[in-house]
Amino acid sequence: MRLAHLWDQSKCIGCGACVAACNAANYESTDAPNPTWGGLRTNILRITFDLEAKPYLLLVQCQHCENAPCVSVCPTGASYVDGDGLVKIKPELCIGCKYCMTACPYGMRWLEPETGLPRKCMSEECLDRLKAGLQPVCVTVCPASARAFGDLDDPGSEVSKRLRGGRVIRLLANKGTRPKYFVVVGR
Amino acid sequence: MMFQEIWDPWLIGPFLWFAGIAGMGSVAYSLLRLFKIEEKLKELSLVIFASVVLGLVFVIADLSRPANMPAAILSSLAQGIFIAKLTESWMTLGITLLFLLLILSFLLTLRHAAVPALAKLTDAKWYLVLLALIGFLVTVYSGFLISSAPGIPFWNTALIPVLWVLSASICAIAVLKILVHSEHVSRFLTRAGLGLDIGELLALVALLNVPLYAGPEAARASAAALLVGPLAPAFWLGVVLVGVLAPMALGFLLMRKEDRKLGVAAASLYLVGALLLRVLVIQAGIFEPLHL
Ligand code: SF4
Ligand code: SF4
Repeated sequence: MRLAHLWDQSKCIGCGACVAACNAANYESTDAPNPTWGGLRTNILRITFDLEAKPYLLLVQCQHCENAPCVSVCPTGASYVDGDGLVKIKPELCIGCKYCMTACPYGMRWLEPETGLPRKCMSEECLDRLKAGLQPVCVTVCPASARAFGDLDDPGSEVSKRLRGGRVIRLLANKGTRPKYFVVVGR
Repeated sequence: MMFQEIWDPWLIGPFLWFAGIAGMGSVAYSLLRLFKIEEKLKELSLVIFASVVLGLVFVIADLSRPANMPAAILSSLAQGIFIAKLTESWMTLGITLLFLLLILSFLLTLRHAAVPALAKLTDAKWYLVLLALIGFLVTVYSGFLISSAPGIPFWNTALIPVLWVLSASICAIAVLKILVHSEHVSRFLTRAGLGLDIGELLALVALLNVPLYAGPEAARASAAALLVGPLAPAFWLGVVLVGVLAPMALGFLLMRKEDRKLGVAAASLYLVGALLLRVLVIQAGIFEPLHL
């Protein structure tokens, strides 16, 4: 099983519902600051490009890399790849060395000051939703169906279907991380 | 441009500096004893032990979950993960090496300060070889630790471990230079220090020059920040002038005629520059910008 996220840039209307929903579901709607990224405590980073010719938006989150540097550098095994292909954290094993944070080429981990834990997609609430057979909250709330989540090994999964139909980019693919966050940029 | 704020430069920088002093200091201790140069070995053993302890204090101060560290490491060990991780994570290897150096240097200090009977153990050839090996590995590991963090392209260079070994070797020479009074040994230290200083200058030029021409965007930005950007004053003054050129000039003077005061001055300047070098390399880290 290789669970993966997909975000369709060509469908996204930039409403930020996924960002807000992540904050609500995983971080109890707190308005406490995110000291690493600035802004809200959420696992989705919103990057806006103010290019004069063509302004655009990028929503990024943990790529659940198949060759995840955050996992290999972690000294205690707190960061690990689970059997479902998702990269997860065991808080009880984490010493807070932040090596995973400097190792992630995407900068997709942020530090929660109260617990000292590196946080990232997917947090507990979304993982619980998966166990209950539900989709991650960002996928559920997206009004434009710009998001999908599913198993790459299942040709019938929503992610697999959309990957077949779209022009897809993987971020920093040259880093050798084999990211599983797919950005659809057109058809 | 946004510098990484994940590892605090003033905590991880000093940690790397102390690790280097302890690491190459241990190599120096072993060499001195093996070559039967007995001067100031007690003081050197204290410097090594204190450096390991201070290094640990600084690195633990940067942890965001220090209280969880003992339980997490024990649990990882119990589950067999820690052992498996030794082949994969420089941090796992580093924790192990630092722990070993802590024990080895503690016994060394004890032998000199309180329990002379320990000499039987710590003066044994195998012990000295082990001490030198672990010391060298601590220095090397502290370089690979940085260069193996793929999030920061400026650090991803084979030059950092090499630079760290060169710089830490000069640090150990500087410590000895301050401790030792014998002119004969001082003269040797001046010569060795000068040679390594020239090597370090070359490595430093390469560290900054290569990313400027061929680096990823973020590595180029880091090099530019050090050379002409916000970190340039500290870099040129602290690292290049105080840490490399001034001690080198003094080294040439000392080659003509050994002078204790000048020697101590050159050594102190070098040590300050080496600390700043590590702080600035950590500070200059920048993540690769994301775009389509
Ligand atoms: S995106 Fe970063 S945090 Fe997520 S799996 Fe890859 S390296 Fe790890
Ligand atoms: S901060 Fe925690 S999860 Fe990250 S590398 Fe260190 S121990 Fe592993």
